[in-house]
Amino acid sequence: MPDQHIDLNDIQGNIVKAYGRFGYPKARYIFFQFHDVEAGRNFIRDLLPLITTGRPWCKDQPPSATTNIAFTYQGLKHLGLPTKTLHSFPEEFSMGMKARADILGDDGESSPTEWDPIWHHDKYIHMFMSINAKSLEALEERYKKIQDLLKKSSGLVTQLRGHRDGQRDDLPYQEASAIFVDGKPTPTEHFGYQDGISDPYFKGSGGNPLNVVGGGKPTRGDPATLQGWEPLETGEFILGYPDETKELPIAPVPTLLSFNGTFMVYRKLHEKVKTFHDYINNVGKDFPGGPEAVAAKMAGRWRNGAPLVLFPTREEANAFAQEYEKARELAATSAKGKKRYEELRLKRTGFNFGNDLAGSRCPMGAHIRRANPRGCLEFGIKDAFATPGALDNRRRILRRGLPYGEVTNPLSDDGEHGVIFMAIGTSIERQFEFVQQQWINYGNDFKLSNQKDPLLGNHDGKDMFMIEGGSPDNPPFFCPEIPRFVTTRGGEYFFVPGLTAIRMIADNLIDPT
Amino acid sequence: MANLISEPTPLTVLSPIKNGDDGSQTFASLTRKYLQSLDIHEKSPMAKVPNTFLCRFFVLNDVFFEGSPGKVDHLKSKYLVFCCNFHGDLNTYLREFWQNAQQEAQKIWRHCVAFEQVHDAESFIDYIKKCELNTTIYFNGSTGLPLDEQLKALYLKQEFSQFACEKQGLSAEALFEAFQEFVERTRPADLTGPTWKPGQNTL
Amino acid sequence: MSNIAGKSYAMTVITPIPKIWAWVNLLKFWYSKNIRKKKSFGLQTLSLIHYARWVIIRPSQFPRLSSNQPKEDLHYAYMLFFSNFNGSWSQYVDSFHMAIPKGLDRIWKHNFKYPKSVPLQPFHRYILHNQIWTDHYYNAYPLASSNDVKAAIALRAALLEFIKQSENMSPEEFQKAYKAFLFYNQQHIAKMHSAPVINLADQAKVERVRLIESYEKTLRDEHGKPNF
Repeated sequence: MPDQHIDLNDIQGNIVKAYGRFGYPKARYIFFQFHDVEAGRNFIRDLLPLITTGRPWCKDQPPSATTNIAFTYQGLKHLGLPTKTLHSFPEEFSMGMKARADILGDDGESSPTEWDPIWHHDKYIHMFMSINAKSLEALEERYKKIQDLLKKSSGLVTQLRGHRDGQRDDLPYQEASAIFVDGKPTPTEHFGYQDGISDPYFKGSGGNPLNVVGGGKPTRGDPATLQGWEPLETGEFILGYPDETKELPIAPVPTLLSFNGTFMVYRKLHEKVKTFHDYINNVGKDFPGGPEAVAAKMAGRWRNGAPLVLFPTREEANAFAQEYEKARELAATSAKGKKRYEELRLKRTGFNFGNDLAGSRCPMGAHIRRANPRGCLEFGIKDAFATPGALDNRRRILRRGLPYGEVTNPLSDDGEHGVIFMAIGTSIERQFEFVQQQWINYGNDFKLSNQKDPLLGNHDGKDMFMIEGGSPDNPPFFCPEIPRFVTTRGGEYFFVPGLTAIRMIADNLIDPT
Repeated sequence: MANLISEPTPLTVLSPIKNGDDGSQTFASLTRKYLQSLDIHEKSPMAKVPNTFLCRFFVLNDVFFEGSPGKVDHLKSKYLVFCCNFHGDLNTYLREFWQNAQQEAQKIWRHCVAFEQVHDAESFIDYIKKCELNTTIYFNGSTGLPLDEQLKALYLKQEFSQFACEKQGLSAEALFEAFQEFVERTRPADLTGPTWKPGQNTL
Repeated sequence: MSNIAGKSYAMTVITPIPKIWAWVNLLKFWYSKNIRKKKSFGLQTLSLIHYARWVIIRPSQFPRLSSNQPKEDLHYAYMLFFSNFNGSWSQYVDSFHMAIPKGLDRIWKHNFKYPKSVPLQPFHRYILHNQIWTDHYYNAYPLASSNDVKAAIALRAALLEFIKQSENMSPEEFQKAYKAFLFYNQQHIAKMHSAPVINLADQAKVERVRLIESYEKTLRDEHGKPNF
């Protein structure tokens, strides 16, 4: 049960629920601009009843569509927030994502100049809205409702155009959807990896307690069991609650504005499908295990989701994945099936790198080892730190979002397909930016010099990725000249207020004195 | 005390700066201005001083007031602080400092109390020792090996990492030959070169 | 002027410590001798520090080089902390305080108004309040982190040994030995490059160097030589 101290009714639902995996595979992301303070306030006041909260859905019928909103610094300014309040926001938020390009490594083809047209103007985007839905019909219905509210502003609130889809570059929204196979949504992205397996699990989130395994913070217990993990502190993800350093996170004033709110990073990431497949096929000619093994070593998981640490061979991984899928289907129909499914779920998340310190199973530089080090930054030195996760507990991010576009021609990098990546946490600088800069685009914390994340790094075609060997006869393998597989096509930083705060913004009640 | 094998030597120097001014700016401000104008990386004068690993200069204006109930303290002089980590013994280090960067040393310390007594390496050594503070706790997270060994090692790491990647999958013959070429080109045992320059900031 | 030189950051902090506690100098020495046994309070594993030192200075220990120089008269002794680490200020302080809070507290605990290393914000404020900015910072290897240096030293030693051992091998023997060499040294193999832009002031620094150059030029133009 959710922690009594946390008012999930006041927290926006996207913070605690990854809608995509809760049966909402369709999404639309919309951006707005306020041309008049009153009109802006009126619009968000009208939106309030539509906003989905974090209230657990077991209590009532889940909605067919969800709606959540968030604001840029410019947006809050255009809603008339007092200067003192505006100045109390963190620097990276008020600067916005484009101004942080050097920190994020958004260079070359990821430079803001290459982004979708909607991002080209400065101080342009004021509000973000996401609609997630069970079906396209439900999505359209909710979208139409929003359009009706928008009309009331008589043009003083505008919906911004400028998203690309391959044919046009002036679309009024960003469409996203899970990838469907045989009419069913799948958890994979366009490179074919299962995505979003270990999302952080924190106190009061109301999620399945089993998600603490791999999603919480490491204890010194067995990582395969519940004893190996504890929920992260709420304050890492929601403002107004204690965080991992045993204090309330830094937050804008007044407290009522920040309470139950958080920050969100939105990024449109294009995936170069042809480059990716060409690369793994090419390198896979020389690597034992072939292209599929190269893909697994880059990610730290087989593309079917099985972690390399527990499933070092493709055969084991495939056998596990089949069993897992079967159990997942049976889980809905029998208690026994559910139990088996839960056991198997732990095999995807219940591990760390304690038995693989040299990286012979999961390379030191693999994506999952970087993005969630699972306490391995102690490098096996027992009790080196006060807690094994000392260097990673404050770097976790809630990942939200869905793939966008379709791969119509796998033989080309062109076209519009990738992922809409969203990261939620109480400090963009300490969490998302740190991970992006130090762990994705650099390697010193892993003793890998400047080696970058093979999948997400901003490679320039000169980097290499080392796959550690396991014995003197099985030396390390070097993946040479890695091209950039993923490029940034847009993005911004947002503040996600709680429901009370939204109402107070709408009613012009924000007073920091 | 210096350890010639693997411990670096820490040196902490507080040199009092003369109170007063040159008619417009205080000697402390002039000292700071000169320090801030120094070129950086391989063009820093400290790049010329053998065996300097990491070092910093700053002017200590005063100590800080922590607020009530603390008491307010003020320094009666401003201090030029030089904090350095190097290889070898202090006398040798300072002698080579003077020999290789005498002009800059004279400019850096020129406004310090009693520095007019310094006119050669030996008097420089004496002077610095008078300003030296003992290190209470020292933490070495790296190595104290001579700088040329460290720089050669860094050069080799870079070159060998490239080699290992490029020459992957060669036949025994070709690999054998490539490695001989690598050794000839990079001369791993030769500390004089090829190697990285002290302070080198570009590849 | 910058606290940053390539991959390194120079942190200097000066904090008051009641005089009586300055005598724990000796005790501190005792601690430091035990540092190795206690894994250097976790510092070694933290692995982002090149060198760090603590210097305790009592009022009478401030160097006095002439009778004209006024004698220092202070209520407190002072502890100077110097660190050369890899990463940005906030990254370092964040890592430091979470990983080895007890070690930090043991070193600083007698300092006046030291707030303890957890929670973070009071510790942050304490460090920032007492921090001194570097006027000139020099790093002999701006392209290398402490990890890079250590890996390089190990790799070179192994390479020299390998060259000696493989001298008379046939190509086939060499290939086998080379593979083993790669395996045993894989943790030392990776290429270095420039440091990431750890904060946007780093760019300001580049800009500032340019400004100072033109400023110096102006000075020279006016007076014929630098006015230092």
